Amino acid sequence: MSGRRALRAVLVDLSGTLHIEDTATPVRSSWSGSARPRWAVRFVTNTTKECKRNLLETPEEEIFTSLSAARRLVEQNHQRPLLLVEDSALEDFAGLDTSNPNAVVVGLAPQHFNYQTLNTAFRLVLEGAPLVAVHKARYYQRGDGLALGPGPFVTALEYASGRSAVVVGKPQETFFTQVPDSGMQPGEAVMIGDDARDDVGGAQNAGMRGILVRTGKYRVGDESKISPGPYLTCDSFPDAVDHLLKDLL
Amino acid sequence: MADSSWTSSAESLKGVILDLCGVLYDSGEDGGTPIPGSVEAVKRLKASDLKLRFCTNETQASRDKFVAKLQKMGFDISVCEVFSPAPAAVAVLKDRGMRPHLLVYDGLLSEFESVDQTNPNCVVVGDAAGNFTYENLNDAFRVLIGLEKPVLFALGKGRYYKEADGLSLDVGPYMKALEYACDVEAEVIGKPSSVFFHSVLSDMGLQPHQVMMVGDDLVNDVGGAQLCGMTGLQVRTGKYRPSDQQHRSVKADGTVDDLAQAVDLLLGARAGPL
Repeated sequence: MSGRRALRAVLVDLSGTLHIEDTATPVRSSWSGSARPRWAVRFVTNTTKECKRNLLETPEEEIFTSLSAARRLVEQNHQRPLLLVEDSALEDFAGLDTSNPNAVVVGLAPQHFNYQTLNTAFRLVLEGAPLVAVHKARYYQRGDGLALGPGPFVTALEYASGRSAVVVGKPQETFFTQVPDSGMQPGEAVMIGDDARDDVGGAQNAGMRGILVRTGKYRVGDESKISPGPYLTCDSFPDAVDHLLKDLL
Repeated sequence: MADSSWTSSAESLKGVILDLCGVLYDSGEDGGTPIPGSVEAVKRLKASDLKLRFCTNETQASRDKFVAKLQKMGFDISVCEVFSPAPAAVAVLKDRGMRPHLLVYDGLLSEFESVDQTNPNCVVVGDAAGNFTYENLNDAFRVLIGLEKPVLFALGKGRYYKEADGLSLDVGPYMKALEYACDVEAEVIGKPSSVFFHSVLSDMGLQPHQVMMVGDDLVNDVGGAQLCGMTGLQVRTGKYRPSDQQHRSVKADGTVDDLAQAVDLLLGARAGPL
């Protein structure tokens, strides 16, 4: 690698990288004291079903969720959203007027992904309500196996209404570029995640380096789903950290 | 109001294919109600020298059941005149030796009784309506993602249809959801698939240019028929929306108020200049 910049920020995905549902992957010890202060560490997540407060014991300002991005968007546009998000994520939208909705926000909300609720959302979108996707992940790793993410349901509403969703989470470039502190260049940041397209591809499109980990939703061959491929593929998050400590400090 | 230039080819027509829902009847709580004038219009077509078939993407009930429903409404119609996706799908599955995981309406299951469904190696999705729960969609997704080469069949790909209480999502959006989740492209069985229309034409023993399709769905009825070389006529009943007139890719050969007017103009033009 020529022209390599110093590493100043590490962006880390949560679900599937740091933990799977409530089980932590072997991780936290990887942040041995000496390394961490040299980098800004930021957690970036499309985990839409838990609100910020439930995420780790990390200062809020170090966590960037697509839920907060969605909230910002509907607030800027003065919209009253129909919220298809998990109950535990509603807290992130506290205070917003949701009566007589004129926008539809779709996150990961299996309990809402049924015929009746999707019909309600569809009718709103067909009448002109903007469709906001917290993210468009195809599926995620659940305790009992892979399960459908919000992406397929957003796609269904897009097809039915003939309109495109505004996607606010990963892999949107704007989502990644908001994360590093001002003055930092994308080339000075690396993103670590288990989703080839949304974590690694998205970060690389934003000018960062992307490290794919073979945990969580990772499946053999995922490396080839993006072009250019990942900067690096590692077995786990600790391996990725080892690499950063050895080669990018 | 009706542009009747499409009737100029009426004399050379030898057959007519009618869509059912939105052309013959409107669906609703108690099975639906006939659209005014349509019972009589079907009778007049049958009495003419035109061959008549019915072509529907109805997948909420078996053919026997919904044909019986139409007969009860007063329509002169029999099972052998009706083409619907489920029997066509059964033929395809048997032909290719495929064992489906079914995500369809309960009322349709009987159509698939003769097909081996153990250890599935494909998914068939129809308009499952209330059966489109997250867990049911997830089950179908897991079958697909677990296959080395996922195969998805969709019984039609309509976007939505009209029910008494408003518009409802049809099978198309759910097909798209599974396509997106698994990176596959579904094989559509039913309108607007050419294979489906050609099976109707071959049963009629007619060439596409000899046949006119009448439907309320611009893309699936009119556009599908036109791609096969048929004339496509749209009625302003059922799911018709005024914006259909400005559609970016499909333009109907003609638009009429309803089936009764279509039959009036068609039979009138054929009788006219003798």
